[in-house]
Amino acid sequence: MDTSDLIQSLAVNAGPVRRLRPPLVRAAGWLILAAAIMTALTISHGLRPQFAERMRDSLFAMNMMSSLLTGVLATVATFFVSLPDRSRWWLLLPAPALVPWLSTIGYQCFAGWVPVPPGAITVEAASGCLATLVLTSLPLSLVMLGMLRYTAALRPTSVVLMGSLAVSAITATALSMFHPLDATAMILGWNLGTALSFLGVAALISRRLATRRAGKGVRRRSCLDL
Amino acid sequence: MSNDRRRLRLVASGGQGDQAGGADADAPRELDWTILMARAQDGDRTAYLRLLQEITPYLRSRVRRWHKDQWDIEDTVQDILLTLHSIRHTYDPARPFGPWLVGIANRRAIDRLRRLGRTVLRETELDIEHEAVPATPQEADGMIDRHHLEAAIEKLPPIQQKAVSLLKLKEMSLKDASAETGLSVASLKMATHRALRSLRAMLADRRDS
Repeated sequence: MDTSDLIQSLAVNAGPVRRLRPPLVRAAGWLILAAAIMTALTISHGLRPQFAERMRDSLFAMNMMSSLLTGVLATVATFFVSLPDRSRWWLLLPAPALVPWLSTIGYQCFAGWVPVPPGAITVEAASGCLATLVLTSLPLSLVMLGMLRYTAALRPTSVVLMGSLAVSAITATALSMFHPLDATAMILGWNLGTALSFLGVAALISRRLATRRAGKGVRRRSCLDL
Repeated sequence: MSNDRRRLRLVASGGQGDQAGGADADAPRELDWTILMARAQDGDRTAYLRLLQEITPYLRSRVRRWHKDQWDIEDTVQDILLTLHSIRHTYDPARPFGPWLVGIANRRAIDRLRRLGRTVLRETELDIEHEAVPATPQEADGMIDRHHLEAAIEKLPPIQQKAVSLLKLKEMSLKDASAETGLSVASLKMATHRALRSLRAMLADRRDS
């Protein structure tokens, strides 16, 4: 199709569009929604036992604060980086909070899960962890996916990873309020792992398509041996 | 938003091409584009048409940094225009239009470069060496084969006949053959490929019978 024809077609099909709000406003909107979900879940689960006591433990408090900050910063970074005219340096925004958070991660859920002793109770506990975290992070991920769907045409990989980090951090903060075990490692594994596996599958599919096309290339060559 | 989902209605350009604009000085031109884009977002089709016509030469010159082939350049420009159209609501008129456009353009150009890189790695250039000529054909066999081959070539569609006779029998280069026939290099390659495939099928039948 001729480029000038394409231009005419696009112009004829151009109706008015509703502009996106500034990225900070959109990030704030998503965070408010996340806060609402967190509050609802905390109310329905009830605050974890000895929450006030735990908060006095400086390691726990720091873990929670840094995960919350990571969540907020990663959300802001995600919404900025999703736009074509913003710098990729925004991806570094959550780094200052991410480092202290990762350094205080506990491995309670994994510690209980990975060795799997004969008693199956630990597996049950861990799958309980998993169910709670899926319930918390799934709505957040879906809403973010909806809000950022336009970025599929731009830089999907970095946005997906940054968005998963934001969801993970917010989920971790929420879970540390009402979940009796520290599930951070599992949360990160779940959210980023899911994102990575999707990216991996996409890469595999595109490679297979490329190979199939290459197959034609080889056949084309063999055709010449008349 | 419902507009984005609607199917694209295709129209012809009615002669006026995309040569308009492009020669103005950079700064006022960019301001112009910002205003045009803002109007386009509000549904002003004339402004949108003018904007697209004006940015196209600029996009072409930009894409030329990555791509050399004329078809690749044109395809990339069209990719960029389509992407711009589908995400035009993400543009914020309070910010300059240039970086937004360049962000999309770079993305599309690099995407195509990657795809080409993958394809080229696995493709082999079509050249003389790939023609398998029998080592020392017997004179009489050669005559018969030639006769069969000519008969088979005559059964091909005209474009394929031409491609085979120029590229294979007269051993012209793709570029020369393209200049002579007015066909693109890609379509010549495709015609040759199809012709050789049909020839092989025909000659194989003959050999079997």
